[in-house]
Amino acid sequence: MLEAIASGLAALLTPQAILFMVIGVIYGLIIGILPGLGGVVAMALLLPFTYGFEPAATLALLLGAHIATVWGDSVTSILFSVPGSAKGLSLCFDGYPMTKQGQATRALAASATGALLGGVIGAVFLALSIPLIRPVILALGPSEYLMMALWGLTIIATFSEGSLIKGLTASALGVLVAFIGMDVVTATPRFTFGSEFLMDGISFPVAMIGLFAVAEMMKLYLKGTSIVDRALIKEVSTVWQGIKDAFRHWWLVVRSSLLGLWIGVLPGVGASVAGLAAYAQAMQTSKNPERFGKGAVEGVIAPDATMGANEGGGLMPTLAFGIPGGESMALLLVAFIGLGVVPGPEMLTKNLSLVFSMVWIIVIANVLVTLIGLAICPYLARLPTLHANLMVPTVLSVCFVGAFATRGHIEDVVVAFVFGVLGYVMDKYRYSRANFVIGMVLATMIERNLHISLTLHGEFFIFTRPLTLILFIFVIVTTALPFIRNRRRKKAQAAQAGTQGGVA
Amino acid sequence: MNIRWKALLAGLLAPGLMGVSVPAYSQSDFYKDKILNIIVAGGPAGGHTRYARLIGPYLQKYTGAREVRITNMPGGGGLKAANHVWRLKPDGMNIFFGNVATLILAPLAGSPGAQFEPGKFGFLGRATSEARFLTVGGKSPIKAFQDVKKLNRPFVYPSQGTDEDFYTMAVLAHALGFQLKAVTGYEGNADTALAVIKGDGDGHITGWSESQGAIKAGDKRPILAIASKRHSDYPDVPTAEELAPADQKSLIRAIVDINETHRSYIAPPNTDAQATAAFRAALKAVMNDPEFIEETKKGNRPVSYMDGAQQQKVVAEITKAGANLTPILKDAVKAIQ
Repeated sequence: MLEAIASGLAALLTPQAILFMVIGVIYGLIIGILPGLGGVVAMALLLPFTYGFEPAATLALLLGAHIATVWGDSVTSILFSVPGSAKGLSLCFDGYPMTKQGQATRALAASATGALLGGVIGAVFLALSIPLIRPVILALGPSEYLMMALWGLTIIATFSEGSLIKGLTASALGVLVAFIGMDVVTATPRFTFGSEFLMDGISFPVAMIGLFAVAEMMKLYLKGTSIVDRALIKEVSTVWQGIKDAFRHWWLVVRSSLLGLWIGVLPGVGASVAGLAAYAQAMQTSKNPERFGKGAVEGVIAPDATMGANEGGGLMPTLAFGIPGGESMALLLVAFIGLGVVPGPEMLTKNLSLVFSMVWIIVIANVLVTLIGLAICPYLARLPTLHANLMVPTVLSVCFVGAFATRGHIEDVVVAFVFGVLGYVMDKYRYSRANFVIGMVLATMIERNLHISLTLHGEFFIFTRPLTLILFIFVIVTTALPFIRNRRRKKAQAAQAGTQGGVA
Repeated sequence: MNIRWKALLAGLLAPGLMGVSVPAYSQSDFYKDKILNIIVAGGPAGGHTRYARLIGPYLQKYTGAREVRITNMPGGGGLKAANHVWRLKPDGMNIFFGNVATLILAPLAGSPGAQFEPGKFGFLGRATSEARFLTVGGKSPIKAFQDVKKLNRPFVYPSQGTDEDFYTMAVLAHALGFQLKAVTGYEGNADTALAVIKGDGDGHITGWSESQGAIKAGDKRPILAIASKRHSDYPDVPTAEELAPADQKSLIRAIVDINETHRSYIAPPNTDAQATAAFRAALKAVMNDPEFIEETKKGNRPVSYMDGAQQQKVVAEITKAGANLTPILKDAVKAIQ
């Protein structure tokens, strides 16, 4: 194995491979920063140029670009609350408030460092857990995914500041929107009103662009100034602060990375869930959860670490079974076949050095992205100081082009606008947009997996499948814990107040 | 004689042998210096796109077009692109590329998503048709197709929804006489493949290239070929038609024919005759280009060309023969609702 690790690295040290990696990373960063375009587009556009080069160089180009798009997404989320794709969404919750407080540089640096650490930890554990991958993928099935989605629902409480009813209303609205289109189980059109466009449902990235980016621009237009007015709020933070932040919260980074890695390994759970789960996990385990949503740096580090690690995990089903876990992995599979490599269990024996080349690519690409990111983040941090008159039209045009580019439908531009208005109204009346998103993401996941579990294992599947039962108990315990803690705290406070009262 | 010359000779001889009087490689100037749009039914990562991009530059060479533009139109399992092309101006500048089997099966099953009549499209030629297999998990007690009937319970079939494999499976169950339990809701081929490998489901239908890796590794086992003849890679795997009782053979033949229409170029109804002829001729020239053939071999992407005019007749026939399938397809959809 050590030999494979070394030869995997050696294959990447050719001039061609290094050049390809740098090109891939820079190109991926640019694609990632543009909303609506993500890793899949980046790889699809590069694929035709990859024929006839050595395998390591080809993979360096493709994977390097793919990895760079991840941090590119985070940049726009932090600076403008414009999530480039579903993955970047959780960065809006705390990254954007940090920008508004004049901490953009710190947030960007923390996010880049978080992504680097996540990528490296993910890659190391990926290498260590190669023998475990097959059994784990085989052990988890639809009923376990269902439990994970249920656990995801408990996040709703986390985002419902003040009113749980408003939080639930927002989620229910998200669920309803997710149900638009062909029903995943019976292929019956739902809420489509005979429209062909609606049969494919509301595109998740387009809804995100509307809910967050368009809504924020509407707010900014009404406010009439820049996102950050330097006359009032000085940019006080530095790159170094951000880097220190990421290392200071090392335990959070480790936990988030492992979470990301395993979410990536499971083919049924998407990356959009990963970011949200990471955020919720950071908040639930924090000693001061009330700071979240108001510019807590942990809320930036955790999702970035998770997403950095997620990419490595996503490779596993492709390598271990020759089954692409997602669209970007399907593209990678095409590249493999073009290189004459048949992915599958043989990969982990015969082509182990190529697998390690990929692990190295993840590490090196992450280092490159972070170095470039740290170098440019003080400049990026100046962007939010642009006046609304300049900012609103620029960002809006990029958003609408992005909405169109997602699927190439002009109707999606209308959808982005409608969701923009919705997002504005929700924000004004304090209905959490994050809860809306959670409802939208988890609705289909729960519907699919509940149906499959019921059909395959019968009504009592929770009790007949041990792993499902364990996860179910875990869901109940983690949901109940905050309530119990709260009650204890109140009791203690009451008792304290009582004794103090007694003394007085 | 080296391979290149042999291929060239074969390419030159093929049209003659097929008895089609096409002046070899003589092209009309219909597309010269124009922009030809190929609308691919599927996302940029899909198999259709891979083929469209492979063929694109050669189409440009033989049509003389200034540019061959490839646009992706995913959605509705290809129906969205088909609906779109159905309504386009029939000037020959916008051509659909995708799975024709879906276009034939969806209207037969009465799918509300299909807003076209498949027989009325202009068929310009098939690029490839990949053999499909019914595969079971490597650890499954089902060793050969005969074991499916001995299960004493329905054959559990994990499915993404009502795609062409779902319909094909329904016809197989009906014609070969076994009980079927379709479990819909899976997210994609990766998801259903894992369900089969794990043993949550008994088996599913996949293309030859998608399942190669898993079959080699022993994770999956092919038990039935859904093709007109046995595949050279798996000579022991029987075709569905071989196993069908005499009175059911026509049903199997209909579904196999539909499946074999696969990746083809089609044009809106009543497309300009000159455009149709020019495109058909150009595609034929591409498929006989030795350089192209070499590239498909290198990239492990087999082609199996069918001439557009011939395909037009075939589709008319199978759409008619396929009418018998309608009640089976509709029952299958009802069973999951």
